[in-house]
Amino acid sequence: MTRPSGLALYAFLYLVFLYLPVLFLPLFSFNSGTIVAFPIKGWTLEWYRQLGGQETLIQALVNSLLVGLVAALLATSMGLFAARAYVRYRFRGKEASEGLVMLPLVIPGIIVASSMLVLFISIGIKPSLTAVMLGHTFLALPFSVSIMKSAFDDFDASLEEAAFDLGSGVVETFRRVTLPIVAPGIVASLLVTFTVSFDEFVLAFFLSGNQPTLPVYIWSQIRFPAKLPNTLALGSLLLLASVALLVVAEYFRRRSAKSTI
Amino acid sequence: MRSDAAKGLTLSAPATLYVGFLVAAPLAILVAYSLWTQTYVSVDRTLTLANYKEAFTDPLVRHLMIRSVLIAGAVTIVTVALAYPIAYFIALKAERKTLWLLLITIPFWSSYLLRVFAWKLILGFNGVLNSALLGVGMISEPLTFLLYNEFAVVLTLAHAWAPFAILPIYVSLQKIDPSLLEAATDLGNSAVQRFLRVTLPLTIPGIIAACLIIFIPTVGDYVTPSLVGGSDGKMIANLIQVQFGAANNWPLGATLSLLAMMSVGFVAILFVLSASGLGRRIR
Amino acid sequence: MTEKNIIRLQGIEKRFGQFVAVSNLDLDLREGEFFSLLGPSGCGKTTALRMIAGFQEPTAGKVIIDGQDMEGIPANKRPTNMVFQSYAIFPHLNVGNNVAYGLRNRGISKSEIDTRVSEALEMVELGGLQSRGATELSGGQRQRVALARALVMRPKVLLLDEPLSALDKKLREQMQFEMRHLQQELGITFVMVTHDQYEAMTMSDRIGVMFEGRLVQVDAPPTLYAKPCNREIASFIGEMNFLPAELTAEKGDTLTISTPCFCAMTIEKNPNVEQTGRAIEIGIRPEQLEISAQEPDGYDGTVQGTVRDVAFYGENVHYHVQVDGVARPISASVPNYFHTVDYRPGDAVWLGVQSASVIDLGQNQSNT
Repeated sequence: MTRPSGLALYAFLYLVFLYLPVLFLPLFSFNSGTIVAFPIKGWTLEWYRQLGGQETLIQALVNSLLVGLVAALLATSMGLFAARAYVRYRFRGKEASEGLVMLPLVIPGIIVASSMLVLFISIGIKPSLTAVMLGHTFLALPFSVSIMKSAFDDFDASLEEAAFDLGSGVVETFRRVTLPIVAPGIVASLLVTFTVSFDEFVLAFFLSGNQPTLPVYIWSQIRFPAKLPNTLALGSLLLLASVALLVVAEYFRRRSAKSTI
Repeated sequence: MRSDAAKGLTLSAPATLYVGFLVAAPLAILVAYSLWTQTYVSVDRTLTLANYKEAFTDPLVRHLMIRSVLIAGAVTIVTVALAYPIAYFIALKAERKTLWLLLITIPFWSSYLLRVFAWKLILGFNGVLNSALLGVGMISEPLTFLLYNEFAVVLTLAHAWAPFAILPIYVSLQKIDPSLLEAATDLGNSAVQRFLRVTLPLTIPGIIAACLIIFIPTVGDYVTPSLVGGSDGKMIANLIQVQFGAANNWPLGATLSLLAMMSVGFVAILFVLSASGLGRRIR
Repeated sequence: MTEKNIIRLQGIEKRFGQFVAVSNLDLDLREGEFFSLLGPSGCGKTTALRMIAGFQEPTAGKVIIDGQDMEGIPANKRPTNMVFQSYAIFPHLNVGNNVAYGLRNRGISKSEIDTRVSEALEMVELGGLQSRGATELSGGQRQRVALARALVMRPKVLLLDEPLSALDKKLREQMQFEMRHLQQELGITFVMVTHDQYEAMTMSDRIGVMFEGRLVQVDAPPTLYAKPCNREIASFIGEMNFLPAELTAEKGDTLTISTPCFCAMTIEKNPNVEQTGRAIEIGIRPEQLEISAQEPDGYDGTVQGTVRDVAFYGENVHYHVQVDGVARPISASVPNYFHTVDYRPGDAVWLGVQSASVIDLGQNQSNT
């Protein structure tokens, strides 16, 4: 900014609006009082300590990690191939296919959730972690495709031709040239899709049955005022994890953009 | 060597088929369910329009549907109006664009559920805002209009969707050739005229994209009305969830889902047509 | 250079749907020569090169390399290597690993790979830079790495796709000579694709000129310059004044012609073109014209005119002279011997030409 303008001031206030609400969670998670209100009574780590002993919570965390991992792997591998097709080849129905895989971004959550529940029951998949994994893969796919598309975008096609020209076969070329160059993009996609799944609630709420993921567990705790401090502590940890994952993903995404100069 | 077209089709097939299947199959089954009826414990598979009749005659359904669309519309307008200046600032004025973009997107990566939860804590009767205002003596008793109404829903969603509004507008602003703006000035426009006659019309695609990205999912939002909406802020998604949950009336739930989808589509198409028509009228 | 053919292209053709990129191309390349495919962009030269490399299969015809038909043999199994226009330096590998890339596909021992890589890098004057990162290289260095990476494979033919187009002018001129020397030392056949006529002429033993998918003429640079086979090539390579002429007599290898401006002349017949009828066209290079204030002595043809424009190029000066009976001004170029510009627009001057410098372009195809 060359000079502090009204616009810059507005931008600053906007950031406050964006961040302040979220920052109240960690702030009050250290409050020794049980009511979320000013003034803060005192500081404590008690609420965090208590989290360790809750078995349902640990189980929900394990469920979430498992779902996130599988959804990230599935979405990223499908996204990797699709993005390569979109960037490198021209084929009939390409635009339609590109549009279709972005659709999960704009369908209202409740409709995705209810229709998948109905579908899965009809084809014999009971509400379970498997159902959530399949649903989250669907939701995460657009993120993976767009990240992998930008990873392939600046990837010079003649690099693969050069490898081929120097005697590598198709598999060899993929392993020694393509994969190393788009690897940062793959890592970024894995992290982002994992985060999408890890934070997702509505679909998991409909599809998880009696195997809650972490957000579903939190949802069940929100209703109990007595559990509030614990929920705050858990929520704060979740926030920290998401932001940490994003920062790492961003680092890899930039590396993938930079390495192809 | 296989042809490029064949390679492209093969590579994109898993993603296309996966999404295609998970869009088309549930839709078909939803349609089927909407034509069936729920008897006491099982589903009667005789085809009937009874659910649609019920949905159209039930005042609660109509009320929630209209409210959902209105709330989503309000959220869209508020969010885009608040976001435009930020997108403008980042695209044309800010020096550290990537840093700003990163700052804008980080909150999006925190769990949506937790952000809504945070607003519930802030706006509550004994909440953060009331206690702070009481503490500094600006009010003498807690404000009650903050939580459990449409206001709370709109505020919370406008906060949640901020990055989605900023990014498309930012992209369309970023694409504007600076010489177009110089030309407008050169031809005698003031800064305000130039904004209205050149900048704004050129960013209409971005505005439309932002509006759709916000409006469509918001109509079907479940978490926010549940947590901060109270009884005045309930939306259609809450009713749908009840049908699939406590009421255990899947056929009606399916019908409501389909109707919600159709109203979203209808309003969205109407909006795109009128917005692009408006854009063409600017001279 | 031997007379052995290393590459034979037999009637190759490449279609993309309705579009014919290369049509019925026949070409023999000799072992050890530096050959350039020259033409404007979109003329099919790169497609032709990529069919030799194996990145594209011809829709008709044969590519034969060293006596072996290449049909069905993919790029990674052909005895050719390529220097790409973008250089295609692997960004995730350092210089040494880039150059070693192809050798590792051949199961060669590590010590031999190291030796050959350092030899190749010495050869392109990048000795000792093995551990330099690919993204830390300048444009010229990238080009040298690309050359080393291809040459270390000891290909029978090295293919170069616009290898100098990404470099700035000074560096480009320097690399022209370096690549020429490298090619002569190694004795490997180089096939280069370029749109730059000067690049093609300074580097090549022979040049093939392509227009719209057809190979129009193949000759050594001086022949191409002196005996172009049609008007298109004559104007694509160097500058040319085109003049209409009437064929009055033909005897053996000579033609007697009369032109509207210069007097009657007897010129050498161009075997590359056809004469049918009396209306022919002749070409005169600007540097072959003498310009003077008085009628010059000892020239076969002279004409008087008026200077219209003067263009100062530094190493020479171009005068555009309007002559009665000729629609467009005739361009004459004079070396800048004494740092003077002798004539100004409006000056009356004489042009003189020797009949040996007049190029027979055959039947008049122009509309002017």
